Amino acid sequence: MLRARPDGEVMSGSRILGLLLLAPAFVFVVLFFLAPVVLTAVFALTNMSTATGITGGAYQVTQSGMRELAERHGEQALADALARVRYTVDRTGIDAASVEGASTALVSELDRRLAGQSFDSRRELERAIKKLDNRPRGTRALKSLSALFERSIVNTRFATEEEFFDAVAGLGIELDATQRAALLATTYTGWTWTGENFSRMFSLPDTRRTFLNTIIYVFATLIVFNTGFALVLSIVTHYMPDRPAGIFRAIWLLPRISPPVLYVLLWKWLAWDTGFLSRILVPLGFESRNWMLDNPTNAWVFIVLINGFVGASMGMLIFSAAIRSIPVSLFYASEVDGANRWQQVRYVILPQLRWPILFITCYQSLSLLTSFEYILLATEGGPGGATKVWALAAYLTALNNYAGNLEYGYGAALALVLVLVGVILSLAYLRLFDFKSLVAPPPIEQ
Amino acid sequence: MRILLDQFTKSFGRLTVINKMDLEINDGEMIALLGPSGCGKSTTLFAICGIHRVSGGRILFGGKDVSNIPSQQRNVGVVFQSYALYPHLTVAENIGFPLMIRKESKAEIARKVDEIAELVHIGNLLERRPAQLSGGQQQRVALARALVRKPDVLLLDEPLANLDAKLRLEMRSEIRRIQLETGITAVLVTHDQVEAMSMCDRIAIMNEGRIVQIAEPMEMYKNPVSDFVAGFLGNPPIAFVDGVVTDGQFVTASGAMAVSLPFNDGARERKIRLGIRPEFFGPGGAQPVAGKITFVEAQGRETLYDVALEDGQILRSIQTATNTATVGEKVNWGIDVENILLFDEDGVRL
Repeated sequence: MLRARPDGEVMSGSRILGLLLLAPAFVFVVLFFLAPVVLTAVFALTNMSTATGITGGAYQVTQSGMRELAERHGEQALADALARVRYTVDRTGIDAASVEGASTALVSELDRRLAGQSFDSRRELERAIKKLDNRPRGTRALKSLSALFERSIVNTRFATEEEFFDAVAGLGIELDATQRAALLATTYTGWTWTGENFSRMFSLPDTRRTFLNTIIYVFATLIVFNTGFALVLSIVTHYMPDRPAGIFRAIWLLPRISPPVLYVLLWKWLAWDTGFLSRILVPLGFESRNWMLDNPTNAWVFIVLINGFVGASMGMLIFSAAIRSIPVSLFYASEVDGANRWQQVRYVILPQLRWPILFITCYQSLSLLTSFEYILLATEGGPGGATKVWALAAYLTALNNYAGNLEYGYGAALALVLVLVGVILSLAYLRLFDFKSLVAPPPIEQ
Repeated sequence: MRILLDQFTKSFGRLTVINKMDLEINDGEMIALLGPSGCGKSTTLFAICGIHRVSGGRILFGGKDVSNIPSQQRNVGVVFQSYALYPHLTVAENIGFPLMIRKESKAEIARKVDEIAELVHIGNLLERRPAQLSGGQQQRVALARALVRKPDVLLLDEPLANLDAKLRLEMRSEIRRIQLETGITAVLVTHDQVEAMSMCDRIAIMNEGRIVQIAEPMEMYKNPVSDFVAGFLGNPPIAFVDGVVTDGQFVTASGAMAVSLPFNDGARERKIRLGIRPEFFGPGGAQPVAGKITFVEAQGRETLYDVALEDGQILRSIQTATNTATVGEKVNWGIDVENILLFDEDGVRL
């Protein structure tokens, strides 16, 4: 006979088993869902780019850095001083001279008479050398000697802040605290923490355009195809005999199951200036052109069609299933109650599709918001950025563009906005759907 | 309104379900289409309301041929087995739906809905939705919706099948009351002979796509044209015993039962089938038969017995609950031969 065990014992056993079973899922969630979001947020607060790299950097005076120092920090004089080339007779130079084959007498004389002196130009140094007793014979020897004392910190990398400031001090430049800070900001080659990505995002006119593009893309595709056309398809096929209806639905599934690259390629063939459309339209007197990229309106029409044909199938399937679940007696009843087809659609079908429509709208708005693959393949956001949506902008900024400087930080900031919008929308939708009511018994009883 | 089915034929693809059926339903009459599953009774109903197109013959409402008129324009009221109420509409909106489709004014709709709701006793439920109603209440709403626009004919498709026993009893008399009060012509489709007998003026009993017999309920019970009809009507059902009759003497093949009948077809041996209703077999019967009780079902006021003859054939008996016979007991009950039904070997009444 089985003896009843105390509840606690059973519970703890099953609890451990439960945790064990959950562990892989937990690892995956953390690794693949949470970590990317957290990393995106982290990157968004940096100025990482191809130029800075993603590891630490060094300190280096560069042309552009000095321009920035002058323009943004108002330190024109300091920038000039740092960028200037000077000639200093120092230990390093004297040792180099002896190695290069200068006479011992010359070396000792350099050490004795010129060591520690600094000259603003090469001519001044050469003039000073010429005055020496053991001066080199000939212009060439003089030139090669003077070159050894050329000193500049431009384009020299310093691994640490200390070395860098030592070198600056070696140039005879004295810095106050603000100058030090400005100098650090303009010479550091690695990434730094910054909130600038966001202020930049909100100030760029490009952002506004991308935002509007995203709205157009999501809503046009959603309303015209993913719900609208899907509804039309499901209702039309409902009134068709089973076989043709099945074939019809299968046809509309094709875009969804064909490989995106091939699918978009077909659209490109259709639209190219030597493509299908042109072949048909040129004999009718239209000029041959790339119909997809000819102007923004055309590009949008194609983008919405390309995405819509793919997106309509899901709504069609969901709506068809929902219509199928309406008891056939309701259609009979409405028929004998005098309702024609249109009235059946309006008073019987559509009311029963309220939840599926809401569901598709919510689900597809989220998936459209983050999907850009078809746009990338079709127009790459063109012509002239007219079809660049937010997700595509983030991708191009951070991961792939012609300019070659990939701005990971700014791209991550763009992506983070998408993540936030997505999370907020998801929470709102979950509330709207009221999870409890979904678990409740279905509204149609049969 | 008088409804006439004239040589009505219905096929689905190659399968002919109903072949050249004639049926006349008188004005104000309530008729039952009674039969087992698949006999074509629902098909007939759907053809009358226009959901199914007819494949041949005519359907007439009054003098008007409606065979090719779509159901939207036929002016029929239908109560479906599942009630088919619109789940997203309130009771009032459900009842008013046919009027709304006809674009009648709101005031007019409200007046008619109130009137009909009063008739079917659901005046207090008008604001609810179907999911908030009991089965009986939903049934009344469906009835109200079918009646609200004064249809030419009221069609009821197994209206009581989804109700529990007590409600079924209640709605049986309710539907009949409402039909009588409105004087509407009605067709009841059912497989339950009790419903058909208790609610209708006449019964058309169907089998395999044909009408076997049309008659008033008691007439059909007493004088069934065939063993099929006899077997379909009556609860507990009639018991059949096959055997031969010679000079008025009936005997089964095994000789387990021998009775003399008030039927004489001469000296020639003839195969016949006896139909013995339970109320005509019991301790008081004239001609005794030996058997053993194999089953007792107490129904309160009455008790039902199955009695097995020696060769295993079963006779049924229904008696007042005063009898105390038990299972296994050997009995020698008698058959009231005057009320026996006789059929020939093809099941046709003699």
